[in-house]
Amino acid sequence: MSSSTLVKIEKVSKCFGKARVLNNVSFEIPKGSVLGILGPNGSGKSTLMRIIAGLIKTWDGSIYFDGKPIAEESMYLHRVGFLIEDPAFYEHLTAAENLIMLSRLTNSSLDNIESLLKEVDLNGAEDKLVRNFSYGMKQRLGIAQAILNDPDILFLDEPSNGLDPHGIVQMNNTIVDLNKKGKTICLSTHVVEHVKDLCSHIIILKEGNLVLDDSIENLFENSNKYEIKSKSIEAIKDKLSQVEDLTIVEETDKKLTIDSELDLSDLLKTFSEINDLYSINKKLDIQDLFS
Amino acid sequence: MMQILIINELNKVLKRKRTYISFLLIGILIPFIVGAISNGGTTLEKSIYGQLSDSFFFIGSLLNGYLATYIIIAVLINHMPFLSTIIASDIFSGEYSRSTFRMYLTRPISRTKVLFSKVIVVLAYTSILMGFFFLYSLIISMLWLGTGELAVFHKGILLLSGDEVIQRFALAFLISNYVMLTISLLCLLISAISKNSVTPIIITISIVFVGTAITYIPIELFKLINPYLFTGYINSFLRAFHDPIPWSHMASLLITCTAWSTLFIFLALFFFNKKDITD
Repeated sequence: MSSSTLVKIEKVSKCFGKARVLNNVSFEIPKGSVLGILGPNGSGKSTLMRIIAGLIKTWDGSIYFDGKPIAEESMYLHRVGFLIEDPAFYEHLTAAENLIMLSRLTNSSLDNIESLLKEVDLNGAEDKLVRNFSYGMKQRLGIAQAILNDPDILFLDEPSNGLDPHGIVQMNNTIVDLNKKGKTICLSTHVVEHVKDLCSHIIILKEGNLVLDDSIENLFENSNKYEIKSKSIEAIKDKLSQVEDLTIVEETDKKLTIDSELDLSDLLKTFSEINDLYSINKKLDIQDLFS
Repeated sequence: MMQILIINELNKVLKRKRTYISFLLIGILIPFIVGAISNGGTTLEKSIYGQLSDSFFFIGSLLNGYLATYIIIAVLINHMPFLSTIIASDIFSGEYSRSTFRMYLTRPISRTKVLFSKVIVVLAYTSILMGFFFLYSLIISMLWLGTGELAVFHKGILLLSGDEVIQRFALAFLISNYVMLTISLLCLLISAISKNSVTPIIITISIVFVGTAITYIPIELFKLINPYLFTGYINSFLRAFHDPIPWSHMASLLITCTAWSTLFIFLALFFFNKKDITD
């Protein structure tokens, strides 16, 4: 395990009855990264999160936090924050009462609850009963409880689930801000659009198996897809017809998406005579990685 | 940490309305029963004296606050499991069904300590409720009907003096509370397994019903197993008013209920520590 690794998952497997939900899953979470766990529903993302959180007690494999196996002690939970699926609070208590109760368990300061609520845009809501909160407010309170003990790493399971577009933007901004403040983030999602903007690394789970583990940078570099924008799409197409091993994947009036093993400089040479070329960019289509 | 967990559990329990339902019901019911006893005093006395009035001449009345309390406890004690398990039934299953453990158990706390904090709160709730039941019945009855000697049937009519009665009621409380604690712990065990808050109450009450049936059905096999069942001791509080007090029966109650309570706690601990929180 390298010194830059905060969490190491090694050959983790879990069965519920006869169903194997996770199968020898291994990956590492680098310090300071935003790691996205991608996968369709039922791929084992939440089970993996629950294993790391200690909510699932029996599983095979090893998990290390800062070089130490988590199975041996629960103290690592002092340095970790979790938001597992939908936010579930004691709804008959106020937001502040919920946070106070949780802060006692980690010996966190009770003084910063007000500022914490402000940080997640819930200022003034501390004395409201959680049962009167909207879903988005509960989700933000979920983030507040996760960062209550100022953790080194945050595990967020489907943090944008059930949020409206405005809520999703707010949640993404919060995640970016927390990462800028030095928190390592591990988030699971089945919405691929979120991953490109937020994550520095991704892993993909499919039916409990790890099918991809890479950085966004590498994936981007190794992508064969290009997005070409131009007024003269027909002229572009003419030129492209002369190039071998190239496929047009998508076409609109002013945009073409192509799949080619040529590098960017070769492609630029091909279009050197075309004046109306606006842009040509490498494109990372994470949806493809699922297939 | 244990102190913090208990404070948290108290916080969760004390701020819920259902916690006070049992107190409210007892608070409303007892004055009605005392009122009824007061109004039907003559009829009640006739049934107490029975044929004794043919042989003896009674001056004054045996009906007083102590007798009323004795009657109230005898009538309601078999229904107390319904009220005393209100908190126990929901203490784990409520957290499973509302998924709050997903947040609570991701903190650096041991599940064993969480369980014991819940056990302490359940035991405290049951004891406070039983204490309220006894004390409230006694106070309302004494205020309404006054005090005097307590007449109970044990090998004929036994008259307990006013000084002695309070001690006997205190002993009766300790006895019935101890049995009720075992019943609450049974409910807590089922709550630790079940995801539904109603199931623990239904199963607990069913077990109490079956156990009570075993106590009263005169079959040799039932007579043999009854001393080993905690349900056989629900009405043992009556023996606190016997003369002499059957201490051997009390010892057997103590041993049986302690054994069952310990078993229930260890089973709850086993299931809770192994439970995967998947909801």
